[in-house]
Amino acid sequence: MALIETKNLSVDYGTPARPVLTTINLSIEEGEFVCLLGQTGCGKSTLLKLILGAERPTGGRILIDGVEHMQPDRTRGYVPQEYSLFPDKTVLDNITFGPEVSEFNIFTRLTPRYLRRRRRFRDEAFGYIRRIGLHERDARKYPHQLSGGMQQRVAIAQALATNPRILLMDEAFSALDPGTRKDMQRLIRQLWRDTGITVLFVTHNTQEALCLGSRVIVLAKETPDSGAHIAMDLSVPEPCHEHQIPTLVHHLEHASGSAREPEEAVLATA
Amino acid sequence: MSFGFQLVHARPGRASTLLLSWLLFALGVGLYFYASQRRHQENSEDRVMPTVSQMFHGMSDASVKPAEDDDAVLPDNASLRQKFFASMLWKDTLASSRRFILSVLLLIPAVLLGLHMGLFPYVGVVFLRFVLFFDKIVALSLLPILFIAFGIDELSKIMLIVVGVTPTIILDTFNLTKGVPDEQVVKAFTLGADDFDVAYRVVMRQIAPRVLNSIRLNLKAVMLFLFAGEMIASTDGLAYRIALLRRHMGMDVIIPYVLWVALLLFLVDLAMRLVNRKLHPWFQEA
Repeated sequence: MALIETKNLSVDYGTPARPVLTTINLSIEEGEFVCLLGQTGCGKSTLLKLILGAERPTGGRILIDGVEHMQPDRTRGYVPQEYSLFPDKTVLDNITFGPEVSEFNIFTRLTPRYLRRRRRFRDEAFGYIRRIGLHERDARKYPHQLSGGMQQRVAIAQALATNPRILLMDEAFSALDPGTRKDMQRLIRQLWRDTGITVLFVTHNTQEALCLGSRVIVLAKETPDSGAHIAMDLSVPEPCHEHQIPTLVHHLEHASGSAREPEEAVLATA
Repeated sequence: MSFGFQLVHARPGRASTLLLSWLLFALGVGLYFYASQRRHQENSEDRVMPTVSQMFHGMSDASVKPAEDDDAVLPDNASLRQKFFASMLWKDTLASSRRFILSVLLLIPAVLLGLHMGLFPYVGVVFLRFVLFFDKIVALSLLPILFIAFGIDELSKIMLIVVGVTPTIILDTFNLTKGVPDEQVVKAFTLGADDFDVAYRVVMRQIAPRVLNSIRLNLKAVMLFLFAGEMIASTDGLAYRIALLRRHMGMDVIIPYVLWVALLLFLVDLAMRLVNRKLHPWFQEA
């Protein structure tokens, strides 16, 4: 059984109803790194929010490991483009927040057991801080004291701290400068390999989709008034050679620009 | 067109900033004394604009002489401190402060209600329309009703403040809660938080500095309603004294009292700003 499965998913916005997504049938296996690619406003963020449980579909169902989830929960970690960290908490507290609230509620937080566990949470958080390439002295800083790249690093650590099976990233690196972006792509690829987590990564950047994903899904609209559908579902060979990227980029951009029937493409490794 | 000097790009230096910022104070004080002196030359019995020495006498009477309506008799050798704590000024300040603090404490439920209205749609649906309506009622127009319903003692005065300020605080907190980015709430849920973790550990903590600011800005309204209540029906308090002394044209005490109230409010405001900065070092004033 697939880890994430959508069945005839469709979404309309507003009155009169304007379709955003139509009949999305998607099946994602455990351990895949799926990049969701499409032009601005084609509904790729909406699809991510549906899988996240932050929005409800107009029609169809979403199954996570065979179960329907009505709101966001621990099975799916989330890293948005902005506002990903709690501004009132230090880096350390941002990372320990997940483990803390997962295990303790408002009342059990008053028990001595909480204080003992807290020390463990902190030790683990320091492990994450080292792993994402931050200094230990950064642990006491507040998010606004960090650069955009550092903030996103912490956001990833925060999401991973609760060991979710799925990581949903919404244009997570789009606000970063090219150099930082490259570093972040390397980091997330590394973390994906190490943890075997399933990643769904939304981006409008074809190059980024290709160098990150093990699979690239292109969303596109037939006409401006119709809802988006899956225009292309592409398995990216591993490793994706640098010299292949330009042709792939061209191929994909053609697909997301002028939509056609879904096509399955598997590129042979050179 | 150029005037030969910069307006928008002007950069006042340290000395001129200091000088110019105090200029209007100096002018006001100077004008007062000039006018006061002129009036006293014409009529030495003038009560409208008391001189400094008159105000000093009035105020020292108010702050070290036992309150007139007080039965307690101090020993002759009582220290200045003892005298101050038995004085009219201290008694009035205490009475007003008690009402003030009680009213501000009663704003805490308003903050919590606003938070829940903003975060839990059903609570919002139930309360929002009603609070919006309630907000439009002119609180002072309710004063007679409050006096009839709750009597003319403390309760009606506190209720006046609550009725007057609570809707503003509720709506303000509601809007601040709505202003928290959705990402924050979603993120908290994906980390395993439950509804109350999100309410108290994520949203409440984020809006806390802004809520404190909002309360700080509404202290003026609290004081306004407090003074209205005290002036109309009270037997003590700063505003009661001011209203009472008006009948005797006691400007020598009224003017220092007004300044004293302004000073107190300024200090409360300053303290709240400092506490806010201390409690929320992460807060970036927008």
